[in-house]
Amino acid sequence: MKPLVSFLPPEVDKLSFITDKSIRPNILLSSFHNPAAGAVVLFSGDVRNNNKDKAVAYLEYEAFTEMAEKLIADVLIEAQSKWNLISAFCQHRIGKLYPSECAVIVITVSKHRKEAYLANQFIIDTVKRDAPIWKKEFYTNGGAEWKANDLSSE
Amino acid sequence: MITIQFFAALKDYFEEKVEWPIHSKTIAELKEELAKAQPKAVPVLNTCRFAVNLAFVNDNYLINDNETISIIPPAGGG
Repeated sequence: MKPLVSFLPPEVDKLSFITDKSIRPNILLSSFHNPAAGAVVLFSGDVRNNNKDKAVAYLEYEAFTEMAEKLIADVLIEAQSKWNLISAFCQHRIGKLYPSECAVIVITVSKHRKEAYLANQFIIDTVKRDAPIWKKEFYTNGGAEWKANDLSSE
Repeated sequence: MITIQFFAALKDYFEEKVEWPIHSKTIAELKEELAKAQPKAVPVLNTCRFAVNLAFVNDNYLINDNETISIIPPAGGG
């Protein structure tokens, strides 16, 4: 059970931060429009069909779900308070994902755009660095490899 | 006895969840024990962080009986 976050729209607060279901950015986005907000920033981290010089067929994501849920809740709360956000959300997919599918989404909502942009980047950077989530790349030539994030190249 | 949880690349070397007798007092000592048990896992183990009760702990953390230690390979999310 994910920790509840008070600044989320009620229909989104029911969702887990880690999911094995498709993430649909356009559907989620519609929950975040808010009459008090002038800016909604949505980041969709999508699966690429290539990494360095390798052709990627699909990815498999695995998470330590309980810890990842807590880490994401903590970073959302920290970002909300630091940038005085109206709302902030992040969801990461696990299981088998093909190119173009959304692996992670971050939505930030604020009065003005600067706060929503900065907070959005802070949230995705923290999740990529610290969340106990891992990916295995499966290549079109049949090989497979666990890949850690190279934070210097992103 | 403690429980150790392994994830991702470490599952190539260890069972996902293992009951482990306590010989080690600290995370650093546990890491050495795991390295002895599975030398091939050392390159991965050296890049891992350790967590207890859903929070990261450092190498000096004192391990208590009945605790679950989670071994966290470098993150690959996003």
